[in-house]
Amino acid sequence: MWWTLGLVLLIIKLTIVISVLFGFAAYMVLVERKLLGRFQIRYGPNRVGPFGLLQPLADGLKLIIKEDFVPRSADRLVFLTAPAVVAAVPLVIAAVIPFAADFTIGGTRIPMVITDLNIGMLFVLALASLAVYGVALGGWASNSKYSLLGAIRGSAQLISYELSMGLSLVPVVMIAGSFSLVDIVNAQARLPFILVQPVSFIIFLISAMAESNRIPFDLPESENELIGGFHTEYSGMRFGLFFVGEYVSMIVLGALTTVFFLGGWRGPLLPSLFWFLFKTMLIPLFFIWTRATLPRLRYDQLMHLGWKFLLPVALINIVVTGGVMLLMGW
Amino acid sequence: MPRLVIDDLEIEVPKGTKVIDAAERLGIMIPRFCYHEALGAVGACRMCAVKFIEGPLKGVQMSCMIDAQDGMVVSTTDQEAVDFRKRVIEWLMINHPHDCPVCDEGGQCLLQDETVSSGHGRRRYPGRKRTYRNQYLGPFIAHEMNRCIHCYRCSRYYQEFSGYRDLGPLQIGNRVYFGRFKEGRLESPFSGNLVDICPTGVYTDIPARFKVRRWDLQRAPSVCINCPLGCNTIGNSHYRAVMRVEARMNPYVNGYFLCDEGRFGFSYTNGGADHAQRPWNSRISGADVTVEAALAESASKIAEISAIYGPGAVVALGSTRNSLETQSMLSRLCRRKGWQGPVWFNDPAIYRKVRSGVERLDSGIAVSMREIEFADFVIVAGADLLNEAPMAAMAIRQASRKNATIIVVDPRPISLPFEFRHIPAAPAQIERCLGSLVKGSISKDELKGFDSSAKGFCKALPAKFEEKESGISISELSGQLMSAKRPVIVCGTGIVCESTPAFAADCAQLLRESGKKAGLFYILPGASSFSSALLSGPETKTFSEILPQIEEGLIKALIATESDPFWDFPDRERLDRALSMLDLLVVIDYLPTETVKRATVFHPSSTVFEMNSTFVNQEGRVQHAERVHVGGVPIWGAHPPRIIRNFVPGGDHQPAWELLWKISAETSMLESVLTLGELIAAEIPVFEAVGHSKYPITEGRIIPENSEGSFVKPKASPAKGQTAKGFNLLLTDTIFASREPSAYADTLASVFPEATLFMHSGDANGAGLSEGDMVSVELELGAIQLKLSVSQRMARGFLFLPRQRGIHWQKMKEFSAWIAPERIRKI
Amino acid sequence: MAQIKSVLRDLLDDVLGLADSYAVTLKHLFRKPITEQYPEYKRLFAERTRGRIILTRDPHGEERCVACYLCSAVCPTDCISIEGAERKDGRRYPLWFRINFARCIYCGLCEEACPTLAIQLTPDFEFSKYGVLDFIYEKEDLLVDHQGKNAEYDYYRHAGVSVEGDKGEHINEKPPVDVKSNLP
Ligand code: SF4
Ligand code: SF4
Ligand code: SF4
Ligand code: SF4
Ligand code: FES
Repeated sequence: MWWTLGLVLLIIKLTIVISVLFGFAAYMVLVERKLLGRFQIRYGPNRVGPFGLLQPLADGLKLIIKEDFVPRSADRLVFLTAPAVVAAVPLVIAAVIPFAADFTIGGTRIPMVITDLNIGMLFVLALASLAVYGVALGGWASNSKYSLLGAIRGSAQLISYELSMGLSLVPVVMIAGSFSLVDIVNAQARLPFILVQPVSFIIFLISAMAESNRIPFDLPESENELIGGFHTEYSGMRFGLFFVGEYVSMIVLGALTTVFFLGGWRGPLLPSLFWFLFKTMLIPLFFIWTRATLPRLRYDQLMHLGWKFLLPVALINIVVTGGVMLLMGW
Repeated sequence: MPRLVIDDLEIEVPKGTKVIDAAERLGIMIPRFCYHEALGAVGACRMCAVKFIEGPLKGVQMSCMIDAQDGMVVSTTDQEAVDFRKRVIEWLMINHPHDCPVCDEGGQCLLQDETVSSGHGRRRYPGRKRTYRNQYLGPFIAHEMNRCIHCYRCSRYYQEFSGYRDLGPLQIGNRVYFGRFKEGRLESPFSGNLVDICPTGVYTDIPARFKVRRWDLQRAPSVCINCPLGCNTIGNSHYRAVMRVEARMNPYVNGYFLCDEGRFGFSYTNGGADHAQRPWNSRISGADVTVEAALAESASKIAEISAIYGPGAVVALGSTRNSLETQSMLSRLCRRKGWQGPVWFNDPAIYRKVRSGVERLDSGIAVSMREIEFADFVIVAGADLLNEAPMAAMAIRQASRKNATIIVVDPRPISLPFEFRHIPAAPAQIERCLGSLVKGSISKDELKGFDSSAKGFCKALPAKFEEKESGISISELSGQLMSAKRPVIVCGTGIVCESTPAFAADCAQLLRESGKKAGLFYILPGASSFSSALLSGPETKTFSEILPQIEEGLIKALIATESDPFWDFPDRERLDRALSMLDLLVVIDYLPTETVKRATVFHPSSTVFEMNSTFVNQEGRVQHAERVHVGGVPIWGAHPPRIIRNFVPGGDHQPAWELLWKISAETSMLESVLTLGELIAAEIPVFEAVGHSKYPITEGRIIPENSEGSFVKPKASPAKGQTAKGFNLLLTDTIFASREPSAYADTLASVFPEATLFMHSGDANGAGLSEGDMVSVELELGAIQLKLSVSQRMARGFLFLPRQRGIHWQKMKEFSAWIAPERIRKI
Repeated sequence: MAQIKSVLRDLLDDVLGLADSYAVTLKHLFRKPITEQYPEYKRLFAERTRGRIILTRDPHGEERCVACYLCSAVCPTDCISIEGAERKDGRRYPLWFRINFARCIYCGLCEEACPTLAIQLTPDFEFSKYGVLDFIYEKEDLLVDHQGKNAEYDYYRHAGVSVEGDKGEHINEKPPVDVKSNLP
């Protein structure tokens, strides 16, 4: 009966992770709007429920009951599936993220990760590249020039920044000596990698922002010039999926940052789950703060930053790390 | 050919061109108020100041007063000239009222434009403004004298150009006033042009008063279809109503102007002031139905009748107000379906006159109105121009201003706005008079040079014609004609004898052979008589000839396309009886005619403002009228409803040719005839030359290079003098009231002439009648009452009765009548 | 070396610049929002505020509008339609006057164009409805019984046409010219 128990556990873990992610994503929207409001000396949403707490519910309800509109000239099948891709990818990534210290019931050690893949990091990187399909296909299938332009920008941007993101993680792997995210967390028992690899951390953070299409890297959407970019033609819950996908991926990126650089679930005194969630939330909050602070980059600036700054710095960082490791004989 | 430089652009212009015109050719519009191409220059307004930098003249000068000369260098933008013009505007505005918001000229006002472009915006002069009292000038023109800038355009147009004296300048200096000595309706039937010609809002048009601004109007080039001249117009529409008609400059036809009938006679297309006078909806037996139902009903009924009685039991009536498209379609359908027709005319005599005239026109001899303006000798034979084709009178007036001799040979008491010699010959005498006039102008030497047929014709011409009453010596006139270089014969087709149009052509031909650039100009009875004639052959019947067949029961169905026999058939009761014998009367029309009221099935058709259409005027000039608006019941006059509809009320009308095609159930029509252009070319071979598929057909004349017609030996005129005692009653036209469609325009109703019978004063004396008496004339089918007008300047033994709306001349039974003296009684 | 130095200085500048902006936004986070809580609190608007449009009357209580069509011409959204007409006494007035407020963008150009000060925008902006047809205001809805922002102006006292007063009786006019007189 070992596998039944495993299955049950898996389902429980899955349910918890997914609902927590969605819940967080929904409230992340509220938090973002509230914070943005305050950053701009406004209140933010405060009409639905006390302090606007029911706003996410109202938003969701609105999105669900809105007309699901498909443009006549759109490629129907692709148009309908693209949002699902965007929403699903970060969920799948979440599967390899260890979110707390292992847990023991009756002698059975239950790992607090849905699945501990020994090539977890490669899995994460591979899936992260998949997300661009949602954007590209959604934009293309809409058969609208704004959407197509958004999609093209999205693809170019994701491909550019994936590179530096991957490279920024190489030193982490080098030091941890493993691709497994669990191992990486364990390798930070003494020192979180943010202290060992600050340059990597910054590159990763910037790339993560770009990967999640957040300001200042929201060129694929850029309301001012492309109306809504790749999701211009979407409405109702399909638009909602794009939206949720963005927030889930923000949280997942937060979790990944935590795992790679902030020591994962490790922390003093308080339970490991708390530490994990706390650290995870810091990153989206930082994203929001950035949104309130920085304007959108121009396309050439975006490319310049990615290819001429982040990429060389990441490469140098790898060489330096390698050199140091060689010297120190790690 | 002087060459000069204007604003750094070089141009060579003919000698005598004014600098202002030379600049216009370069596309530089020098501001102006008083100068107008048709009226010439007087230098009254000082607005056209430019600076002459080099050449025979230096400094700021009026460009409208100076002929272009070699070596001139002119600047229109020189600061000195610009300042000068700015001052002029400021002076003009010193007395100009603060009226723009309530002035109908606003939005199309030259003064407004020039004021704004000069930059004048703030009044510096603190003094008071000059004011004037306004006058009532009739139902068309509103007067607001305060706005006058004293450019003299109105008086120059009214008095010099159009030849009427009742409006002009009064007073002197700063008090100059433009108006009539006494208030009252303007006498000129060309008064509407004052609205166009005045650069400010002194004269504004009353039918559109306060209703609209120029920028809100839908405008398209159109053509006037009230008389055969086909003057060029611009239709203006707003809120589904045609608001006003303006003149469109066409140098060959109407120049810059229009007559009042053409300008104000459009309200039939709006259904009158209450919009209820036009039949907007399809009807079966008087009840409104949908377009499709009516079309289906017509189609099936026609098919049924054709099947039972044969297609010959169906007759198609057209008219001389059909567009060329409709006429071509009618002609095609009659041929393909075997229907009888198309029938264009009611009166066989008129039909034959039109045909014999049109046959004789060729591009050598036909003249346009423009050419008439330059004629030096004009003979008008049997035409009352002011009443039959008003703008032609305007063209002859221009010739008269250039000292041409004008002779009118017509039995009616003609009046025209210029000096002319009137020979009141009876219709039968017109040829004699014309012939002897022409014969007298041919010298012996010229006669020798003629070929045999010309010689024969010339010899057979009557040598002598003496008109005792007018006391005009034909031989003296012949002498003048002999020295004329560009004589023109204007020939009517109304009251003249059947042979006269051909005879006039022969006379013009003879004058040509004698080395003159002689021209011929016919006055035909309707907007598209010319194309009717082109589409008819020797077998074409007139309605009078068809009528017996209806009465015998041989004809079961009548398709009347924009055709109303009641309009000009002289026996109303007979017509009524005959029409009631029909199984089917399909009527396609846009006017509320008598025939429409009797229709079994009625289809509303589009007016000239509501479709693209082509008309051929009396000199064979093809002209295209563009659609001005879609049409429908106008929104004017009441609050528009707050209803969202997916149709236009009253928008069911379709071009008549389209309706015809649909009721003919000729489905293959679209396949066999691809375009309207091809349809027309297939029916009227002359259009072949213009190119098949070209539609709209570009303007041009469709008359042959050389007509086949050759001299016809003139018949010996009937002996003069009447045997029986009595009067010959003839029908004539009158402006405003006797032509379709303008006579249906309620805007004109107030100016319809009073019903008047014309009689020679000698005859009246004999009968004990005098000017202004109300008389009762007993016609064949009943009496009519009307006013009597007597004149010395008309043929004796004739009575003239205007064929106008409101006079029941349809009691005549025939197209002309013999009235014994005892049948005219004073009442 | 100097080059590297300047690159590093630029980098430092950039980083400091970034930090500065982050600091500014962070500071705002702790300020009290300045938003006014409508509808609990309604502030008073200036007279010139551009809200719902009215048609005013002249000091005699007559309609000011003369149906000159300038407002409908200038309106960028084409939401004014008018039909002009003539009253028995010669006064030009709009037979009907319609503004489609569903299209109006309250730009105020109509007010600026109006030569008679008839059309005026008011501070009333609370203007929402369920039916789009309810936004179509007719003259009866627009016409008010006062002079709006300008109590004095009476267009017909300045015009040359005789609607209020005969020729020569308006402001700044000489008596009419007597065309039948020869006196200087
Ligand atoms: S004439 Fe012209 S400038 Fe004068 S009031 Fe009328 S529109 Fe204005
Ligand atoms: S009434 Fe008009 S056309 Fe006549 S002088 Fe005055 S401004 Fe000129
Ligand atoms: S405020 Fe602007 S949009 Fe509204 S009616 Fe006036 S001009 Fe038109
Ligand atoms: S601008 Fe003024 S006077 Fe003119 S139509 Fe509009 S409201 Fe009436
Ligand atoms: S246009 Fe030359 S003076 Fe008037």
